[in-house]
Amino acid sequence: MKVVEIMTKKLETIEADSSIYDAIEKMIDKRIRSLLVKPKDEKDVPGVITVRDIVNKALAKNLDLKKAKVGEITSKPLVCVDKGMDVEYAINLMSKFNITRVFVNDGKEIIGIISLLDVMSAELIKKAKEGHRA
Amino acid sequence: MLEKVFFGGKKEQQVTEKIRRHIEILHTAAECFKKALEERDKEQLYCVPDLEREADSIRREIVSAIYEGAFLPYLRSNICRFVEIVEEAFDRLEDAASVLENVGLSLDKEIEEDCITIADKNLKMSEMLLIAFDTLFGKDDLREKTLAIRIYEKQVDEIKVDLMKKLSEKEVKNFWQGKMLSDFVSFLTRISDVIEDASDYLHIINISLR
Repeated sequence: MKVVEIMTKKLETIEADSSIYDAIEKMIDKRIRSLLVKPKDEKDVPGVITVRDIVNKALAKNLDLKKAKVGEITSKPLVCVDKGMDVEYAINLMSKFNITRVFVNDGKEIIGIISLLDVMSAELIKKAKEGHRA
Repeated sequence: MLEKVFFGGKKEQQVTEKIRRHIEILHTAAECFKKALEERDKEQLYCVPDLEREADSIRREIVSAIYEGAFLPYLRSNICRFVEIVEEAFDRLEDAASVLENVGLSLDKEIEEDCITIADKNLKMSEMLLIAFDTLFGKDDLREKTLAIRIYEKQVDEIKVDLMKKLSEKEVKNFWQGKMLSDFVSFLTRISDVIEDASDYLHIINISLR
């Protein structure tokens, strides 16, 4: 099974100079746990801000959420997997870096995201289909 | 063993074959609908009401056969209810196809991709419902199949939330345009709920066979 088959195409982004509070609002409104952080300039690379980053790097350190910028707690570089790779490769990456999601790229473009929940759901569906005659 | 006791009679086998056919037609209709949406193909769309009529006729045959004596009496109402729920999935699919025809098979770009994804999930759910139905007569675990259906349904729910938000932000130029779009999304997203209800009934039937 390839990552492109099970990835989520819904990618939400945020500017690096937005406040962490903006990021929290966006995550709650969109019911998601991570945001793709846009590069600041041409020399910069995209990053990711997750709920884990907000809790560990902002709330735990008493940062002022309305003043502190997303860029201050963004994780870079992105851990990516090519769209044509097997899901097993993505699972290994998640395990190796102790993360719950990886981004999916098509060349230089980020086209989706794959999470542990996506992997689990896809595996359960695959198992349910096994050995069926239709 | 269960197969022999509960489904082994000639009448029962005829009915189960018809129920299977009923679900197969749902799967074909869901496939036609998805293709029509993807390719904006009116001919594909017309096969949905045609298949609905065929399915309706099979449903009548199933219900008649059941009340003519197929299956033990305590199983009959649950099997009939299951068939009626599958029929409701056909109705919603036909409603969605009818509205899609009225809007000229053309949806706004912002919502088209989400609608195609939901149509694809509906198709996969109908396939899984067929697999789940076959499980009643085999050794596989029905729980695995109904869980897969619930996973698909949750995925549709998530897309629905986004879709409703996009719709609420969209400018509506006239009442009927807004109503048709709203109806289309309601019908399309209702199908997954109904298929999930049908799978719940399979679970009830499975329990009542123990």
